[in-house]
Amino acid sequence: MTESTIEQTQSTTKSVLAEQPIMQVNNLAVSFDNGSGPRIQAVDGVRMTVYPRQTLAVVGESGCGKSVTSMSSMQLIPRPPGRFDRGEILYRLEDGTVVNLIELSEAEMRKIRGNEIAMIFQEPMTSLNPVYTVGDQIIEAITLHQDVTTKEAMQIAIDAMDAVGIPDPEGRIKAYPHQFSGGMRQRVMIAMALACQPRLLLADEPTTALDVTIQAQILELIKDLKSTRDMAVMLITHDLGVVAENADVVCVMYAGRVVEFANVYDLYANPMHPYTRGLLASIPTVYTKLDRLTTITEIVDNPEEFKKLPGADQGITPWWPWKDAPSDLCKRDEPAGDYVLRKVAKDHWVGVWRTQAVKNDESSPPELAFRVADQESATD
Amino acid sequence: MANDGAKIEECVEQVESISALRAPQRRKDNPLTRSLAGMLGMGVLGVMFLVCLGSLPWTLSAGVDADGQSIGVPRYDAGSPKAGRLPPSWWVYDEQDIERSTKAIEPAVLEQIALEHGSTVDQLIEAQDEATLDLVKPYWPRYWLGSDTLGRSLGVRLLAGGGISLTIGIAAALISVSIGTIYGAFAAYVGGKVDSVMMRAVDVLYGLPYILLVVLLAVASDAMVDEWVTHNKAKAKWMQNQVVETQFQETGEKLSRADARILLGEDQQLHDELVTQALALYPRREISAGTRTMLDVLTLLVAIGGVSWLTMARVIRGQVLSLKNQQFVEAAQAIGGSPTRIFVRHLLPNLIGPIVVYATLAVPQAILQESFLSFLGIGVKPPLPSWGNLAAEGLGELNTYRSHWWLLFFPCLLLGVTLLAMNFVGEGLREAFDPKRQR
Repeated sequence: MTESTIEQTQSTTKSVLAEQPIMQVNNLAVSFDNGSGPRIQAVDGVRMTVYPRQTLAVVGESGCGKSVTSMSSMQLIPRPPGRFDRGEILYRLEDGTVVNLIELSEAEMRKIRGNEIAMIFQEPMTSLNPVYTVGDQIIEAITLHQDVTTKEAMQIAIDAMDAVGIPDPEGRIKAYPHQFSGGMRQRVMIAMALACQPRLLLADEPTTALDVTIQAQILELIKDLKSTRDMAVMLITHDLGVVAENADVVCVMYAGRVVEFANVYDLYANPMHPYTRGLLASIPTVYTKLDRLTTITEIVDNPEEFKKLPGADQGITPWWPWKDAPSDLCKRDEPAGDYVLRKVAKDHWVGVWRTQAVKNDESSPPELAFRVADQESATD
Repeated sequence: MANDGAKIEECVEQVESISALRAPQRRKDNPLTRSLAGMLGMGVLGVMFLVCLGSLPWTLSAGVDADGQSIGVPRYDAGSPKAGRLPPSWWVYDEQDIERSTKAIEPAVLEQIALEHGSTVDQLIEAQDEATLDLVKPYWPRYWLGSDTLGRSLGVRLLAGGGISLTIGIAAALISVSIGTIYGAFAAYVGGKVDSVMMRAVDVLYGLPYILLVVLLAVASDAMVDEWVTHNKAKAKWMQNQVVETQFQETGEKLSRADARILLGEDQQLHDELVTQALALYPRREISAGTRTMLDVLTLLVAIGGVSWLTMARVIRGQVLSLKNQQFVEAAQAIGGSPTRIFVRHLLPNLIGPIVVYATLAVPQAILQESFLSFLGIGVKPPLPSWGNLAAEGLGELNTYRSHWWLLFFPCLLLGVTLLAMNFVGEGLREAFDPKRQR
């Protein structure tokens, strides 16, 4: 085998890998102990897929299970009180083997955390240890996973800080977190997350605590790093503007379930679940003058909205917990047995009641290798 | 184009020369030497510690008389009641003091002086004129910090007491801080049922009067020492066995233990005989008075340290509980840190502040508790001095008729200076470990 063929095989393996999902959440159900009361089902029957070089945006209101889903994939759910009831989170390692993240042991998981999957948190003010310099903390992340000397780790840390746009990284590496502003700290967090070249980045509301200009910078940074490093990003947010700007595929969640899964263009142009329509309608625009903003309730309380789904006449109704279930419900004997995430149109999945019509649902699991960047380069 | 390139480079240089874009220049300073008060306190403490502990072999060794003969009493306990309550040698002596000082001179020496000057001893003592004073003064017992009721040098007693008090204070504080930190941090970090059980145990111990615990510990350790020394139990058992066996050999009937004991009590001759044999088998071990004292002090130290960690455990638990939920702990988990690593590297350094503050408070507390317990007769027993019991004795000497102020003033002064220095050191350390206070 000549060198060129080796290179060729390597590149083909790489492209094959790129076309396979890096992480796939299947029927995940996580519940929490509520002391005396019944267990709280935080997420139930959640399915979603992320591809390399893709940004999957998970949107939904507070408490809908966005963070629980991402924390589950790192096994960062405190157990007890948390518990994985059902389902699996399949993760494809670099060599192509697939592991189930929620079944890994703590030691195996530690090798994944930070190294394969990295995480950025919502609060840059508190996510850095106040008694260590930022350099110490980035170096710790590196030495945990890479067999390098402190000096080499220092160089990697400086490079990582440079990559996230911190000026004068050699000088700042000895600074303490309190000497940094919020945006700079978030950059440090990103540098820490990226220092080990993870293949999947979980960004849990990375810009919520930052002001709009810094928000734009951080998101631009994540976007850049995604394309230069072939990284997949799971962006958790409730800012639909951020989603429109940054996401390739959007997953809308409500009450612990996925209600809609589609690529970003489809979702904004043709939202199919009434809740998604409500979400989008509730955003005020500068072009229309309104005395009162539209609320989500106005949309989801309108029965007509539930009849707009393709196949509604065959009894396919969007799932909505506050609405009486259809009379022909075929409930399976499990918590999320009344619900199914069904492919209702091309590349478009909607959470529907498990009625007679979708009883034997054969639609494929939600997965889209769609990337906005590819579309843009194709049209160029 | 080449021109443009040069221009761009120039611009870049200009931008880089803007000092605001660079990290602030920081003065290289050692955080440990930043606080002047802390350094001073450290110096005072160091000197105090060195002098008191360094002089312990001297103060605890047997004193010598004028001829260099050992008098068989430790220096801290050596003195003559004749020279009781003399003020410091540099203080103004009044007539009474002069009379008592003269009486405290060795009779042989006085006789010699009297002989040389052609008078009797009585005349010498009666004559309080300048000429006689000049003659006798060199032979007065010199107490540079005065003497106590029994004529013992307060200076020597303060030195010995300082060694004991500082050892107990610092060691007890160390014990209580280490136990408290580890216990509280572990309980909070593990959380859940383990936390509940561990903290309820602390609550129970809190509920018991601490003096009771200390007394129990002290008594138990005392009994253990006695047991070890005399082997009483083993000896008695062996003797009873001997009686039972002899009886069996002689009469063929088996005797019970209780009967054997009664028999032993009645038959004095047999008893003495067996005691001699038993002593040969289990020789009585002797421990010196010094070792005994050491053991007492050690007991006291463990008792104080072992009781005062409760507050520390609660404080640290609270701190860890709040730190544990901070996002940086989660972030440390997310980069793949193990629980031990997170505990040691991320939680403990954040606890330095409360630990140091509590430690500096625990030292004076331990010294004061020691004096209280010494008063009850546990631990440091008179005549062995400690700053606490010296001050307690001095308080009684303060009266309206004639105040022997030095007996109260000097122990309190030393105690006060030490505690002040300790607080300065604590404050300095806390500042040194807090990155936010960096200038």
